Amino acid sequence: MTWQLRVAHRTGYRYATPATQSYNEARLTPRSDRRQTTVATRIETTPATRAYRYTDYWGTVVTSFDLHAPHTEFTVLATSVVETADEAEPIRTASWRDLRSETVVDHRTEYLTPTDYTPRDVSLAREARSLRTGLDPADAVLAVCEWVNKQLKYQPGTTGVHSTATDAWQAREGVCQDFAHVTLVMLRAIGIPARYVSGYLHTKPDAKLGEVVEGESHAWVDVWTGGWWAYDPTNAIPVGPRHVWVAMGRDYADVAPLKGIFTGGGQSTLDVSVHLTRLA
Amino acid sequence: MSFMNATPPRLPPSGRRARKAAASRITRPGDRFEGYLSPDRPHAGAYDEMFSGDGTVRGPYRALYESIAALDAHDLQSRSQALDRAMVDQGITFSLSGQERPFPLDLVPRVIQAAEWTKLERGVAQRVRALEAFLADVYGDRQILRDGVLPRRLITSCEHFHREAFGITPPNGVRIHVSGVDLVRDEEGTFRVLEDNLRNPSGVSYVMENRRTMARVFPDLFAQHRVRPVGDYASHLLRALRAAAAANVADPMVVVLTPGVHNSAYFEHSLLARLMGVELVEGRDMFCRDNVVYLRTTEGERQVDVVYRRIDDEFLDPVHYRPDSVLGVAGIQNAARAGNVVVANAIGNGVGDDKLVYTYVPEMVKYYLNEKPLLPNVDTFRCWLPDEFDHVMAHLDELVIKPVEGSGGYGIVFGPDATAAELATLRRKVRANRRGWIAQPVVQLSTVPAKVDDRLAPRHVDLRPFAVNDGKDIFVLPGGLTRVALPEGSLVVNSSQGGGSKDTWVLASRASTAERELEQPALGAMSTVDGLVAEQGPELTSSQQQQQQQQS
Repeated sequence: MTWQLRVAHRTGYRYATPATQSYNEARLTPRSDRRQTTVATRIETTPATRAYRYTDYWGTVVTSFDLHAPHTEFTVLATSVVETADEAEPIRTASWRDLRSETVVDHRTEYLTPTDYTPRDVSLAREARSLRTGLDPADAVLAVCEWVNKQLKYQPGTTGVHSTATDAWQAREGVCQDFAHVTLVMLRAIGIPARYVSGYLHTKPDAKLGEVVEGESHAWVDVWTGGWWAYDPTNAIPVGPRHVWVAMGRDYADVAPLKGIFTGGGQSTLDVSVHLTRLA
Repeated sequence: MSFMNATPPRLPPSGRRARKAAASRITRPGDRFEGYLSPDRPHAGAYDEMFSGDGTVRGPYRALYESIAALDAHDLQSRSQALDRAMVDQGITFSLSGQERPFPLDLVPRVIQAAEWTKLERGVAQRVRALEAFLADVYGDRQILRDGVLPRRLITSCEHFHREAFGITPPNGVRIHVSGVDLVRDEEGTFRVLEDNLRNPSGVSYVMENRRTMARVFPDLFAQHRVRPVGDYASHLLRALRAAAAANVADPMVVVLTPGVHNSAYFEHSLLARLMGVELVEGRDMFCRDNVVYLRTTEGERQVDVVYRRIDDEFLDPVHYRPDSVLGVAGIQNAARAGNVVVANAIGNGVGDDKLVYTYVPEMVKYYLNEKPLLPNVDTFRCWLPDEFDHVMAHLDELVIKPVEGSGGYGIVFGPDATAAELATLRRKVRANRRGWIAQPVVQLSTVPAKVDDRLAPRHVDLRPFAVNDGKDIFVLPGGLTRVALPEGSLVVNSSQGGGSKDTWVLASRASTAERELEQPALGAMSTVDGLVAEQGPELTSSQQQQQQQQS
């Protein structure tokens, strides 16, 4: 069964001393693709800016804006109404041999190659290889996701936005971003093309229509085993109607919800709040 | 101006009849060329452009040979000193490891025949057309990857493949406004492409300045040759940059963006800006608001339509690339995406001149143009392909091994000259990063006589012709930069490795009506300041001139 959700994502910066100039790019517009339909979407900023919108290499809608008047606060509010997808079933059409074929290896190369956030890691690769023994690729994905879910403790605060998979793995703690990165390292090590998905999760399966639920920016993985399907290693649950897809890429760097540069004296802090409402 | 007063040594009279007579006489090199064709010289198998194997002077060099063979040691020295003084006077320097030095100009020009040049010109233009199509494809539909002509990995593993630039479409489709395709001549005398430079090829200022200097010191030589002029480069460049602007800009504002005075090519940046009559700016002189780029002027903001940037992608836009860069303009990439400014050369061109991608250019020519490549590549082994890797490993001591990234001749290993320990280290490096290395046979770059002490000796040269694409035609500047490796036996011509340069003469055919250098005895017209009006070419409208006046 699909859901209709309203997402209100407020984010922005607060500056200790006024910033005189800032350039930002927001990746906050939910995807419209075969899995999910975005019914309405709007991005507003305070102070008001003239937004420019384009689609990037990864197919994500990017909204960019620049500010030239001194400001101590800058807020972006992204509101969308999205019809989400049914629960994703594992796809089992590709064998291990298929995954090793030249076509797959070359075609999915970007989702098999280590990145800054998801570097090669000998111990994670070893674990992944032992987990896959005797399983088909799709079951290996599930095994890896569940393993990561058990090994890492969900603990906000220990890792930061720049932590790599290795950092999180050494700490054995992290947040959804780290769970996704560790999972990607392991899946890529055993030859399963895997990508990072950023989005939102509605945390109450039994929420009443119209009830506003405090949520968070979330991340999970999308894997290719003959076709793409997604899984949420942070919660060890299939990706389904409660997940709203925003952006996909190799790792966090490709999908960062808000990034930019500013000119000014002070440090900046980022404020984030996400509200999700089930509409239907 | 002292050197202008020094009377240049007289040359023997010449004319077609005298030349004919001389040509039949010449069977072996003259005095200044003593030992030139010695069989013991390093790389004796290399193609010499002045002499054929039996010591006969080749056609295009006959008149030149007569002139210089007659010089005695003293003449040679005084000419050479005059040349050096002129170079220093004009302030033509390059910076090597932070030090400004004069760029050595050799006194023997390199000569290319009309027919040969026509072939090169067509070959270079073909290559640029294919690479333009390739870049448009890579940053657009990626059809060549879908068709399996090139492996996707080749592109995605390329350090200068900038996904950030995906989907940016320049108004007139041109991404390679200026290119420098490096050519070498193999043992048979065939020109081959050594590498493509599609980002910020530099050196064209030396082409123009070398010519200016030679014309001042050797006006007599120009009287005997129909040398095609190179002084109008800037007008071609300006035309191409103006043509690159969005269609609805009536009178585009063009600027040259330089990283600043400390850049090794600052001389060139300022020269080009001056010759084009446009502003030379640094990043901090401009800013971007709502995806429009403005120049700060004494009369307020002025919208900039075309930025001929001479800074690397990584420093161009701190929003997308290095956030600590202060050389660029924040937001310029999105301004280009929005179609409000044109960045020349386009962002992300580096994917087209990657040394591994280079090996696939012949495939691109066939795929995009359905033509046969006119200029062959140098044979190249790609370490990332298993077969070729094995070959390289087995023949490491016979090959030149080059890192895919990097320029200026850094990191290149000449197998035959390397010690066993060096080869072992290299073997490890290549094995660890196969994508990062290619190997080529030791191409024996052709030789041209160069002044060494009081004699003329063979020295290896390459050639970088400059091509300017205005969207309709690809103009190849007749000549280009000939770099010469001055140490004996050296095959590395980079200025950072002790190279010098030569004036490169493309001869007009006798029948052609093409312009020739020094046709009118007006040396003054060569001067960059006096020549400004003439250099700008006919396409400047009167309103543009008016604007330039307002600016000053």
